[in-house]
Amino acid sequence: MRAATATRRTAARPAGSGRRRRRSVRTTLVALAMLSPALIALVLMRVVPMISAVSESFRHVSLATGASEFDGLSNYTYLLTDSGFHSVLVVTLVFNLVLNPAIVLLSTALALLTAQRLPLVGLWRSMIFVPAAVPGAVVALIWSTALQPDGLVNALLEVVGLPPQPFLTSASQAAFSIGIMVTWGALGYWMIFVIAGLKDIPDSLYEAAALDGAGWWRRLFSITLPLLKRPMAFVLIACTVGSFLLFAPVQILTKGGPNGSTNLIMFDIYNRTYLLGDVGVGQAEVVILMLLLAVIVAVQFRLLREEKA
Amino acid sequence: MRRSRGGTVVLTAAAILAALAVFLPVWWVFVSSTRPGNSYVENMTPLSWLAFVPVGGDLTNYSGLLSGPFLTGLFNSFLVAGLTIALGLAIAVPAAYALATIDFPGRGVVFTFIVVVAMIPFDAIAIPLSSLFQDWHLSDSYAGLVLPALANGFAIFVLRQFFLGIPAELLEAAEVDGLGRIATLWRIVLPLSKPALIGAGMMLFLSQWQAYLWPLLIGTSPERQLAPIALANLSTLFTVDLGQIFAGSFVLTIIPMVLLLFFQKQYTESLSTTGLKG
Repeated sequence: MRAATATRRTAARPAGSGRRRRRSVRTTLVALAMLSPALIALVLMRVVPMISAVSESFRHVSLATGASEFDGLSNYTYLLTDSGFHSVLVVTLVFNLVLNPAIVLLSTALALLTAQRLPLVGLWRSMIFVPAAVPGAVVALIWSTALQPDGLVNALLEVVGLPPQPFLTSASQAAFSIGIMVTWGALGYWMIFVIAGLKDIPDSLYEAAALDGAGWWRRLFSITLPLLKRPMAFVLIACTVGSFLLFAPVQILTKGGPNGSTNLIMFDIYNRTYLLGDVGVGQAEVVILMLLLAVIVAVQFRLLREEKA
Repeated sequence: MRRSRGGTVVLTAAAILAALAVFLPVWWVFVSSTRPGNSYVENMTPLSWLAFVPVGGDLTNYSGLLSGPFLTGLFNSFLVAGLTIALGLAIAVPAAYALATIDFPGRGVVFTFIVVVAMIPFDAIAIPLSSLFQDWHLSDSYAGLVLPALANGFAIFVLRQFFLGIPAELLEAAEVDGLGRIATLWRIVLPLSKPALIGAGMMLFLSQWQAYLWPLLIGTSPERQLAPIALANLSTLFTVDLGQIFAGSFVLTIIPMVLLLFFQKQYTESLSTTGLKG
């Protein structure tokens, strides 16, 4: 964040003392007027629902009467002792532990490749970026057809002589299949951030390394990757947050099945709140999700910062 | 960096292979969308070249879509995305301009607040917000669909970074010429800021075009469904017409693709701003 650069510019304006105070009150009012629609929107659409989730999570809503009453920690104790919720947590954590590093590595590899000076490289980069524009629900629909018994993927498997796979209908392959479609939809998007990081590395470093006779691999491991740590850390964190909130493919394709193997936390929250009508428990799960995300982001920040020092 | 000729050939081949592999599903969806009904299957087992070459097809799937709920959905998606861009920029531009050019007490706090709130992932609070919208009588309305997307802290951030780069002398000169703050913003700053406006506009557009959970929760009656919801509903019908799913998927993909074709540079530059300087 660079608030400092902004201060330098406007602080230098000269003004008389009395006039200055009147002027500064006026400019403050003008600034607040310009900011207020944005601030009101952010408070009502982001902060208030967060607070409401916390307060609702301590209440119980009667399905019969619709009356809501304070219920202490019972929504939390219910969730934390519910074996269904335990398996949701395990599925969500394992899914993320595999998916996010894979996305970071693949998007970095693609960024390194398409940042090279190659014939028509802009076209190849744009083709890799295309899925980033496809809405998540459409990604799910495209891949559900591609992963059908007579879909694209099985047809290609047949060409190379492999047997057809059940994919979304198998408990052991469904989560993997969802991982594939998410990776496909996300790669090009995160690649952009790594490319931006690559462009920030000064050419002089590479020139110096070339003079010292460092080869391609040496330059990759001694210059490029260390200096990419910041954008890669950003991608890992942002991508983790996105993957924890994955919802569309589960809701459209698997409804958490087969056998709960794709019951990721966002779908479980939706399921408990709307399909089972358990609003208090759903809100408690929203709060747990936000706490979980805060912890994971904080840990990732800490780890990546220490590595840098 | 100098590279051997062989190296260039290998890297180019790798880039082409990666691009084709990523692009193949989209292309397959397009070709399959020209095969009426479920007849695309005939080209799949065994895999025929007709699965990837759009000859001999027709547009029946597209005309089929036009008579169903998908058309209403598409209209709603355009309406909601258009309103989001217009109102979102109308909110973000003055906020960003105030943050970038007016020195007022508490500016640092306000800016930090905007950045921190922008990092609250929307989908995490979508479910609590939807119960609030019920209390506020906003569910199942266009206002309900548009409002949450207007609170876009990243758009403010991108615009602020851009405004900071406009030379202070230019703004001072405008002031000396007796141009008011709003007139300076409108007549001097905005015409210079097209890349940032396009970038922030694309962010607002895509945030709405890609939304699924929120429109599912809020646009509940068929007249207010957005296109992705209408399409997903088609896919869960008892007898699925996959041809229409292909056609609808392709329509929802080609629209942002065309926009990116024109605005990819501004959009990706804005994205990188949020990533690296945040």
